Amino acid sequence: MLRFVVRRLLLLVPILLGVSILVFAWVHALPGSPVQSLLGERATPELVKQYNQKYGLNRSIPVQYWAYVKTTASGEFGTSIASHRQVMSELRERFPATIELAVAAMIVALAVGIPLGVIAAKHYGGPLDHASLVVSLLGISTPIFFLALVLKYIFAVKLGWLPSVGRIDVTIVTKHPTNFYVLDALIQGQWSVLWDVLRHLVLPALALGSVPLAVIARITRAAVVDVQNEDYVRTARAKGLAPRIVDRRHILRNAMLPISTVIGLQTGLLLSGAILTETVFEYPGMGSWLRDAIFNRDYPVLQGGILFLAVVFVLVNLIVDISYAIFNPRIRYS
Amino acid sequence: MSVAELEATEIAFEAPSGLWRDAWQRLKRNPGAIVGFLFVLVFVVCAIFAPWLAPHKPLDQDLSLLGKNGIPPGPSSEHWFGVDTLGRDEFSRILYGARLSLLVGVVSVAVGLSFGIVLGAIAGFFAGWIDTTVMRVMDIMLAIPGLLLAIGIVAALGPGLFHIMIAVGLTQIPIFARLLRGSVLAQKENDFVLAARSTGVPRRKILASHILPNSISPVIVQGTLALATAIIEVAGLSFLGLGDQNPARPEWGAMLTETNQYLQAAPWLAIIPGLAIVVSALGFNLIGDALREALDPKLRGRT
Repeated sequence: MLRFVVRRLLLLVPILLGVSILVFAWVHALPGSPVQSLLGERATPELVKQYNQKYGLNRSIPVQYWAYVKTTASGEFGTSIASHRQVMSELRERFPATIELAVAAMIVALAVGIPLGVIAAKHYGGPLDHASLVVSLLGISTPIFFLALVLKYIFAVKLGWLPSVGRIDVTIVTKHPTNFYVLDALIQGQWSVLWDVLRHLVLPALALGSVPLAVIARITRAAVVDVQNEDYVRTARAKGLAPRIVDRRHILRNAMLPISTVIGLQTGLLLSGAILTETVFEYPGMGSWLRDAIFNRDYPVLQGGILFLAVVFVLVNLIVDISYAIFNPRIRYS
Repeated sequence: MSVAELEATEIAFEAPSGLWRDAWQRLKRNPGAIVGFLFVLVFVVCAIFAPWLAPHKPLDQDLSLLGKNGIPPGPSSEHWFGVDTLGRDEFSRILYGARLSLLVGVVSVAVGLSFGIVLGAIAGFFAGWIDTTVMRVMDIMLAIPGLLLAIGIVAALGPGLFHIMIAVGLTQIPIFARLLRGSVLAQKENDFVLAARSTGVPRRKILASHILPNSISPVIVQGTLALATAIIEVAGLSFLGLGDQNPARPEWGAMLTETNQYLQAAPWLAIIPGLAIVVSALGFNLIGDALREALDPKLRGRT
């Protein structure tokens, strides 16, 4: 087990190097040079040369790449061109927001998706099975931004039950020690703030959770159908175990293996979906941040942000692989 | 070429080879598959015959139709889906939008599929350092969230129809590569491959005529599902303002975005293109899902 974890951690190195090369090459491929956009009208050949010298842009590409790796590895992502703030300090605000949203979306997806899949499997081939198929295929087929717009229109604009934009009511003034607003409100015991933050989370989480919900329901159904025909399930039933215990200990536990893989894969998709969801709900997370950065050609933000997301995604998948071994004692990585 | 490809897939079902004939029999009895085929048929017909079916030109404007404050009127017998905020016939624009979605979907999946198949087959068949290199590169691509990768590619290449198709196609390569590699690895140890090898069949021929035909079915299922993903992703790119910039080619995602601020006054202008995306994506997803069940060897023979 330990050897497996160490080996997977070592595999991170080439992947991260690759991502950093990709991001570096990509920024260099973007149209327009940074000096040109910095100087604008004032760009005379002499000035351009001088600035290239100043920012080290006249060095060879490998040297520039190495400088980039060195500064990034020390946690230094540079300064945002648009906001003139440290990329790292913006990241510290944006990332918790997206994590909070992603966790909320995943809770929605798991809480609805797993029961939906189990019910479908129990009624394999019946009308309930078909109904769950339709629900999950609809979930996969509906663009997140469309669902987000419809939810916003119905529940925020028409009915006025929930707030339509943002993460917290603008009139609320409070401290955010961790920038996880739910956690902050809990620590400080501010129940009205907690309520407000949760209300802001509902619609974005529903929209963002729709795709993983559908996928998890389908995978759960397939896994439970597979497992419930196994000999050991029949044996457990035959020896008179309560159906509830068979469901939990024999079926669901074994079905969790494929489900946990999907949860890992879906996390990456959640980060993609967050770009669209955060745009619709003007939610100040990583997604809307990176989207703005693309339009502003904010290279430091893009380089830092994408690299950071890639690291998170790779780590999540590592955790999923390790959780394999916990859910399934038959797998022993050697 | 794009449409021909679609038809080729459909013809393949009727080919009287064992697995496919069996699958076709089961597809015919699956209501989900039939609904899916109907949705896709409507979508493809709209796409191909848009210029003949559309009652108006997609760019024809009639500003006199707009009410006070520029609010467009709702659906009527003359304009089935109403007119948009510039007085253009919404129904005609939806039909032309299908054309773009089909084109983008088919081309981008073709890009992802062809590169993915080649890379996956090479990695699975040759194993060793080739396998490791190819799959690590795929891991790197998968480490960047798909939409972000597509946004990045479009940002680097500049917006435009061709670049969008490339961007969406590239993000699909690793999925196809992984899938095909997995099934090639599984087929490689089969007895018929060993038999072919022992009788001295060249490696290239083993790959082409023994391994690939037997590992292609999950790729076809994924290809159908990828058409749905591509349509949704392109709409998402348009929604973010990175879509095709040509106003003569209406795009569903862009139509949805343009009417965003009129959501209260004219909600149907956002809902109709949204539903168009849902229905066409649902069609491909239904077919893909039914195909997966029909081609599953574990379920074969059970009808």
